[in-house]
Amino acid sequence: MSIACPVNLDREKLKSEVRATYAKVAENPHGEFHFHRGPEYAARLLGYDLAELHTLPQTATAPFAGVGNPFMMDALPLGGTVVDIGSGAGMDCLLAARRVGPKGSVVGIDMTDAMLARARGGAAEANLPQVRFEKADMTALPLGSGAVDVVISNGVINLAPEKEAVFNELFRVVKPGGRLQFADIIVGTELSEEVRSNIDLWTG
Amino acid sequence: MIEALQQIGFRDVRACHYFNSFSGTTKEGVARKYGVQGANFVAYKAA
Repeated sequence: MSIACPVNLDREKLKSEVRATYAKVAENPHGEFHFHRGPEYAARLLGYDLAELHTLPQTATAPFAGVGNPFMMDALPLGGTVVDIGSGAGMDCLLAARRVGPKGSVVGIDMTDAMLARARGGAAEANLPQVRFEKADMTALPLGSGAVDVVISNGVINLAPEKEAVFNELFRVVKPGGRLQFADIIVGTELSEEVRSNIDLWTG
Repeated sequence: MIEALQQIGFRDVRACHYFNSFSGTTKEGVARKYGVQGANFVAYKAA
């Protein structure tokens, strides 16, 4: 399957729609959306530890809308550097911060102002100063080459119309010997161009 | 996804776990129709 954006998809419109959708989630995480949110969902369908999620600020957990669980693979390195692509309200960043410890660092990357505001508030409330959040496009990360031990992400890369550019950027920032461990959606059938050009289906 | 990561240069790329992320949502039928689900992936950059 091609990872290129369909020719007739307006990439800027898609990014704008994604920002608008997730701004709504940030502002009203209990609103009506066609995808799940919140810690109960994360525990019931994705295998997160609900008791641990309940120790995090609700400002970070309520808008969570991931599709998998990047903590099921290898343990994050104590003292390591982790970046979360599309960090949203920061739930996975806070979990990662606990795992890398106070000598580690976690950088959350997002392009939605309302999510960044929630994420920064949550990190402060959780007293995890090793976390910071940056506004950036995932094709142009504000990180040096080879700066990252582990890249995590949860249901976000599928929203990018230029996945090859995203993967190239991830390859640039990961250290030799480092890794990606991320969750995303997969599609079991080849999609028609009509379906791939439908922005409503992308933004979910 | 796996082929794309391999083409970039990542090694030992694999999907590890699968999730019915859209179960119970209004898009559950669409997800079932197109085989859409969540998955975990790992990919390594050679040392």
